[in-house]
Amino acid sequence: MTDQAIRKTGPQDIGGEPAGPVDTTDHGMKHWERQANAFRSVVQMHKITCTDELRRAAEELGERYKDMQYFEITTSAMRTVLLEKGLFTEQELTAKMADIRARFNVPDEMESPIKKALKK
Amino acid sequence: MNKTTHDYYARSHHDHDHAHDHDHGIDDEHAPVNEHDNGPPGDYEIMSRAMQELLEQKGVITAAQVARRMELFDEEFPFRGAQVVARAWVDPAFKQRLLADGRAACAEMGTMLEAERLIAVENTPDVHNVIVCTLCSCYPRALLGMPPTWYKSRNYRSRVVFEPRAVLKEFGTELPDSVTVRVHDSNADMRYLVVPMRPKGTQGWSEEQLAQILSRDTLVGVTVPRVSA
Amino acid sequence: MSSEASLRSTYTAAPVHRFNVGDKVAVKHANPPGHRRTPYYIRGRQGVIERICGAYPNPEELAYGFDGKPEKVLYRVRFLQTQVWPGYAGPANDIIEMEIFEHWLEPASQRGAPAR
Repeated sequence: MTDQAIRKTGPQDIGGEPAGPVDTTDHGMKHWERQANAFRSVVQMHKITCTDELRRAAEELGERYKDMQYFEITTSAMRTVLLEKGLFTEQELTAKMADIRARFNVPDEMESPIKKALKK
Repeated sequence: MNKTTHDYYARSHHDHDHAHDHDHGIDDEHAPVNEHDNGPPGDYEIMSRAMQELLEQKGVITAAQVARRMELFDEEFPFRGAQVVARAWVDPAFKQRLLADGRAACAEMGTMLEAERLIAVENTPDVHNVIVCTLCSCYPRALLGMPPTWYKSRNYRSRVVFEPRAVLKEFGTELPDSVTVRVHDSNADMRYLVVPMRPKGTQGWSEEQLAQILSRDTLVGVTVPRVSA
Repeated sequence: MSSEASLRSTYTAAPVHRFNVGDKVAVKHANPPGHRRTPYYIRGRQGVIERICGAYPNPEELAYGFDGKPEKVLYRVRFLQTQVWPGYAGPANDIIEMEIFEHWLEPASQRGAPAR
């Protein structure tokens, strides 16, 4: 299906790739996903960012994109854009995440991909 | 408001590995909500929550604004598309206006589409339309709410453009070769709504009754409306 | 395919537009980096202008924080599936349509699309 002379611009450019059967069941959205979507909508309403910037940030995930769920992608993209625009710093975000974990007694996941990414 | 009303964090700690998976048939159109998420929040949930709290604390957004958008997405948006198409079914002149300028027609009904441009595409005995966004998951959210998981899936996005009939068959929709399958890749500023053919046996139905058979899947084009026996 | 109505431009056309409804066009065989909304699978393919959608800020610029002006004309282009996918399994009348910005389009060549 793919033409070797044409280079895909990113991991999102998947039209035409062979793939498996479609799971036609709608598995719905978790509460946090609905909230994340609403958060994105509010951020865009305030004109802090736009759909195009968020898409571009998602595309910049590169190799990780294909292994991520939809809301993992969109959350990562939002993080990228909000950091770019200086809405908060990496340190503030890390501290806030630790705060949330502590608040709700979530085990510290040392091996999580996010921790690795944030550690750089 | 978020921290009290919807905060599952207050519930007891469950086994981390079990995702609470609702098993819904394809007829369950309005995206089911997993209120009872088991297990502690994962990294991305924590990240999303952290970003939201930071922006709230900095006074950039408010929790009320987020709650209001959640409400709209859950309680208003998913129903509008069916209402618009039901109107088009009963009012041929409205249908022509809808096909000519989707956004203006929706505005007539008091449905403001914000930034979206809408292209309504009509199914006929000769043409069946189906919508996809291969590059991400563009979708007429103000008319249909949030897209279903299958619409956002790699397999749908990849395959429906090059083997639409095979994908439609997976949804239980089979079309003869004489019917043209017309795929729309929603890749730029337009958003799409399929206007299905009105099935036989619906004469004299009210718009409300007609909207009942216009499930979300029929408006994306993976199924056609049916009158239940 | 259905009536002529489906080929009429139904949005306010941009005042200056290079292509008209019904024109045969080809999607450029270009490979630029960065954020693009022209899928790789349609590059180099030939189709027909189905409608003029209007002029919009360029998403390729908006993605990086620019204002995307001057706006670019956006078209919907119709392609025969058999001309997009080698070995397309469906009937010859099946079509695919998508939105392509003007700078991605050129007049179709007389010789037709290159083999792929």
